[in-house]
Formats: sequence, structure tokens, C-alpha cells
Amino acid sequence: MDYSNQIREIASRLFTDNKIDYFVGYKQNSFDDSQVPFLFTDPAKISNLVFTEKSVFNLTNYLKPDHTKRKRVGLVVKGCDSRALNLMLTESQVKRENVYIIGICCEGVLNEKGEKAQNCVECVMSDPVVYDEILGTPSGKKGYTINADIKELADKSLTERADYFEDIFNNCIRCNACRHSCPLCYCAKCCIDQETSTLYHGANTSSGAMHALMTWSLHLAGRCVDCRNCEKACPSHLPLHLLHKQNESVIYENFQQHLAGMEKDDRGAFYKYSLSDPDDFIL
Amino acid sequence: METEVKEAQSKIVSAENPDLTAPADWQPVIMGILCNWCSYAGSDLTGTSRIQYPPNIRIIRVPCSSRVDPWFIIKSLQSTADGVLISGCHPGDCHYISGNYYARRRFLVTKKLLNFVGYHENRVQFSWVSAAEGPKFAKVVAKVTDDIKKLGPLHRYKKENF
Amino acid sequence: MNVFIVETDKAGLQKFYEEIIGKFETYAPVEKFGKYDYKRVLKLNECEPDSPIETTMSVKPLFFPKTAKIMKFLESSSGTTLSEIEEDPLSGKRVILGVKHCDARSLQVLDHVYKWDYIDTDYQNRRENTVIVSSRCNKAGSQCFCTSLDYDVENSDAHDVRIIYGLDGKIYIQAVTEKGITLLQTSNLTNTASASNATEEIKKLYQSFESSFRLRMNYAEINAKLQNLYDSPEFDIVSSNCISCNTCAFICPTCHCFKISDEKIKDTGVRYKSYDSCNNGYFTLMAGGHNPRPVKYRRWRQRAMHKFVYYQDRFGVNLCVGCGKCAISCPVNISIFDVVNQVSKNAGLQN
Repeated sequence: MDYSNQIREIASRLFTDNKIDYFVGYKQNSFDDSQVPFLFTDPAKISNLVFTEKSVFNLTNYLKPDHTKRKRVGLVVKGCDSRALNLMLTESQVKRENVYIIGICCEGVLNEKGEKAQNCVECVMSDPVVYDEILGTPSGKKGYTINADIKELADKSLTERADYFEDIFNNCIRCNACRHSCPLCYCAKCCIDQETSTLYHGANTSSGAMHALMTWSLHLAGRCVDCRNCEKACPSHLPLHLLHKQNESVIYENFQQHLAGMEKDDRGAFYKYSLSDPDDFIL
Repeated sequence: METEVKEAQSKIVSAENPDLTAPADWQPVIMGILCNWCSYAGSDLTGTSRIQYPPNIRIIRVPCSSRVDPWFIIKSLQSTADGVLISGCHPGDCHYISGNYYARRRFLVTKKLLNFVGYHENRVQFSWVSAAEGPKFAKVVAKVTDDIKKLGPLHRYKKENF
Repeated sequence: MNVFIVETDKAGLQKFYEEIIGKFETYAPVEKFGKYDYKRVLKLNECEPDSPIETTMSVKPLFFPKTAKIMKFLESSSGTTLSEIEEDPLSGKRVILGVKHCDARSLQVLDHVYKWDYIDTDYQNRRENTVIVSSRCNKAGSQCFCTSLDYDVENSDAHDVRIIYGLDGKIYIQAVTEKGITLLQTSNLTNTASASNATEEIKKLYQSFESSFRLRMNYAEINAKLQNLYDSPEFDIVSSNCISCNTCAFICPTCHCFKISDEKIKDTGVRYKSYDSCNNGYFTLMAGGHNPRPVKYRRWRQRAMHKFVYYQDRFGVNLCVGCGKCAISCPVNISIFDVVNQVSKNAGLQN
């Protein structure tokens, strides 16, 4: 999967026609064979752009005003990235006319070990759902499978799961890389960071980590597109996908098989309801 | 010897930490979050009808059950509460028309996630109680208090442990 | 100080480690979720101190922990009473194994600020009570540039004992400080320096290590250039893909910013000191709402300048040891090496 030349050509055209101020793509890392996000305004740097199966990071993260300052942006998105972009558009975080979307029909990216990443093996939509230009051949919607790791954990006993998660929360260093790399975490000031609120928990204890990570995953429930930016950003290598995939499977099974960002005006599972939602767990 | 066995059997074991116990007369603290228009009014009716219910519940009032952010539940469990009860209007009767429809989606996902992470599923419970259902509210509180008494004290992730 | 080198082999080294673990509170790199960090070990097979492992965090959390209680308070109608924390769990006599020399050096760099306008007694106690056993690297990592900075890597005295891996399975255990000599003597190891050509072998091994570096820079030139580059627009370009996530400052062995927070239950509470980062958007937010560094490039400018200009001006050393951990853990692999080089390089073109 190599679209480097096509992307360079499109970027060059966009700059020449003055359609964009920033271009966001990938470039080669300086010390190993991985790729890193690359934002630039100078057309002379177009030759650094690449796109292969090592282009992992979800670039819609850079549409937040902190990075591209609400200017016009040309962007490269894969299937899952475009679903996040869909949600950002519906939630009015980006203006459609300010984004020029180059959609790639993704064949899956590789993880650090060189194998196909887990979220690509379980991918539900590898084609871009919103785009101005599309590269590659669409392959249509795929069936949903429950994540193998959460199936394994669900079979364990309560105390085994509790011990496993306590280990995870103990190793969190509250760096907030997960939140900052998630495209859908765009609140100007996160509720957990409000110093004036008594709900703030600034100490790096496992209690605080549980509070922060659980709240974060529940605020993302129904909106997470499983791009794994959070997990790749985490310096402690915490398996954060467990929390998000658990929410995703509950939502898929109970709320009309809803998956985040698939339709054009989708706003996430918690922004709609059905009269037939299950409530037999309610007394 | 018999009294020793009886004493050992009457201790309550914490569901998430089997090595921690509490004496048999331990009383749980339950956080109750009730919606103003139905459940809070219903609990008021329970009181004026002089129907007894366990005093372990501490009630706070919100305008609608959909005001309840999952954060409130996690925060309560992290503080002194051993369990949480959230109560709202019956579907179709919400004062704000559809608040409880949105809320029940969030409730299901929160409940399942907390169980996944290691809290027993009975720690957080939900109910629909209308303003006329005084007796039902008493029954609900009694059931929840009983469930949580059996689960024992909650020890994981408590703020005071630090 | 006399040269104290013990020539031994893998079995001898294992025995040395086992003795230390048996006698002292020992910390070593332990694996969790596929990465390594320094944790307390009770048995040799729980850890990997043998060769320098790339740990995510350095030994910094053992001296400046990610969260620490600093006092307790009790509120009552007559006012607030403060009380001390009973004991610091990190202040016992302890040994850390498998430390890289850059991590050990970072403690010497941090010593300056912890003895400056306020003597941090907790930190001093931890430093005095710890013996550091470092494992010498045989070749440079892809992001390492320690030899380009302002400290003597070959003869560093930041660690107390140094383990050097020679050829043909030979291992040299060298005591570098008095504390190190005491540790080796406690393990009944005898000085074999005079009986072998250990010193020449160690010198040769260092030369091959030194030549394996990919990244080199002239730190003095960069210090001098950066002094005048405060207004360079290059800072915006190098920080363009930063996501302000705090990871680099938490991971960095020399970064020491912190925040204070209080946790209360009813009327009793604890005050905590935890890690913070100048890259955070709210680091400089003041009461009243003013924030002098609201945008990314200002925070990156401050970070680069603090490390290579301000700390140098005040204490005479760079606030960087060239370990490369920031670049490896950064979600988008930004390296302080690239940042300072790119800014200083393009400065000439600007003029």
C-alpha cells in the first residue's frame, strides 16, 4: 500500500491553487522505519510526504485549533480516521469548507512488531466515509467482531479482573497523552483538569488514574472509532483499548448495532435513543 | 468452639477484595441520586406516608436522571460510598420529555464498564420511581441496601487509602 | 582514590547481584506491559539488571516520585492543623541495579537545583542512602547523544559501581566512589586491578562505544547561538506536530517541574506533590486567567532554552544528558536534539 506519489501530487496541486494553508500528512521518522505526522505550510517540503502501511497516527487530531489554528487544511485520512472526522464535522469542531480530505482505502497498518495491527484485523470500515478525493478501491463495510482481549477478560472472575485493572491504573503516570492524541477529545479544558472544581484529582494515585481513565472512556463511549492513537501515545503502554472496546461492544449489541461515525450526521450513540432500548436492568 | 465458628461465619467479606472483611453489623453508605420531578417527589411521599426504609441512603437531587454524568457514579465510589442508586421517571413520563431515554443508554454502558473493571455489578443500581410510588421507593432502597450489605465494604481505589 | 576493579564472569556477576538483593532493598528494571521500569525486586529472576535495558522512565521516580505526600491537614472550627507525613517510603538504604550512565548523570544535574534556594531534605536523604550500580552500554542507541554533551562519559563518577561487559564473557566490576568500594567489599570481592590489564581493555571498549554514535552536536556552539534566537520563527516549525501531552517532561531524567494538589475527605486531607510539565497548556495559567504561554511554540521555546541556556547560565551544566528517552516515548517522536539543531541551523539563514 503505497500512495506517496499521489499524495505529493495532490498536495502540490492544492498549494498551487491556493486551496489550503496547512497540509497534514506523514513523513519518515529520522531514526527508525516508522512514520510521524507532518504539518507544513511551505510547498517546498512536499517531497517529505509518504504514505504506506506504516502510516499509523490518526491525523484528524491536528484539526483541533491548537494545531492548525482554524485555517484551511489538506488532510490524509484512512477509514477509521475519516469516521473520526465525520464526528468532528457533525459536532461542529471543523468547518467542511476548511478541510480538503484525501481519503485512502486502507489495507491495514502494521504495529511495532511488524504484524497487522489488532484494530485493523477487526476493522469494520476501511474505506473513507467522507472525502474530496479517494485513492484505492473501496471494499465496503465489514462485519463486526468482538475484540479478542475483552472476550478473554470477560471469562475471568471478578477479582482477577479487578487485580488486572488495578495493575493498569497503578502504572498510569497521568501524562494525558491519551487525551491529547485522541481527535475526539477536543474540550478546551478537560473536566478532569478543572482546578477549581472539587472533582479535580491532581495526585498521580491509582485512584485518580481510575477516575480519569474511566471518565475519559465513558465520555468517549459511542464516539470512539478505534484508531488506537491513545494506546500508541501512552508511554506506559497501557492496554487502553480494553475500556473503549468494552463500551463499543455493549453499544453495538444493545443499541441497534451503532458504530461511531459511519453515517454523515452521526453524533455518537448517546445523542440518540430508541423506545425499545433495553431497561430490564432497571428496578 | 461453636461461638467461634458462628463469629467467623457472621463476618462480611468484601466482594472485590476477598481478603478484607467487616463485622456483621457493618452499615453501608449508599449514594442516592434522584430526579427532582418523579423520584425525589416519590421519596418524599414515602416519608409523609410514614413508610420506613433503611437510613443508609444519602440522597441528592438533580433536575433529571439524564443530568447524571457517569463521573458522578465513579466519584461516589471513590469517596465514601459503597454503592450508588440512581432513580428517575418512568420512560414516557420524563418532565423534560426524553431525558430518561438518553439516560438509560448511559446507565447500561456505565454499569457494564464498572463490572468489567472489577466492581461487582450490584454496586450501582438504577430504578424508575414515579411521584406516586411511595411504597415502591421504600422497597427499592431496602433491596439495594440489602444487596450492598451482602457485598461488603468497597476497598479498591478509595481516596482515603492514600 | 585507588583503582578498584574486579574481573569476573557472568556467573560471578549473578552471584554479586543475588548477594545485593539478599542484603539490601534493591531496585532493578522490571518488565510490565512490554516495557521496563525500575521497581523493587526480591529475587533476581524478577528483573533484568544484566545489560543496560531501555527503560521507559529513568531512575528519577526513585528520587522524585510521580506522586508524593508532603503533609496532612485537619480542618476544625479553630483553624487548620498541619502535620508531617510519618515516613518517606523511599528513604531507606537501597541499591539500584542496571542503571545507565546517563540516568546516573541526571541525578548529578538535578542535585544543583535541589540544593539551590531551598534544600530539599527528602531528596538529599534519598541520594545519600542510595548506591547506584550502573551497566555500561556497549553501543549507542538510535537517539543517544550523551558523548556530545558537557560531561565526561568515560570517567563519570555519577554512579558508585560500574559493570563493564568485555569480550569473551569477561565482566569487569569497577568501584568508582567510596560508597562503591564499600559495597564491593561487603560482597567480599577483591581488587584484581593490578593482576590484569583491565584498565586498557576498558579503555578500548569505551573507544568502540564512542565511535558507535550516530548523533553528534557541538553543545557549546548551540548554547551560544540559542542565546540570540529567542524570536526565531523556527520554533513554530519544529513544534508543529507536538500534541502538548506532557510525556517528554515526565519521562525526562532531568525535568523536575511539579504541581501541588490537595485531596480531602470531609475535614481531613493530604497535600500531594506530583509531576507537571511546562509543555502543558495550563502550566502557566494564573489565577485571574492570564496565560503567558498559551501557544505551543512558546512552550517549546521555553523548554529548549531552559535545557540549553537558562540552566547552563545559572548552574554551569546543561539540563539534558542526551539519553533520547523523550524522542522514543513522544507519540510523534520529537527529539530535543532535532529541535535545538534545527533552530540553531536556520538562524544563520535568517540573517
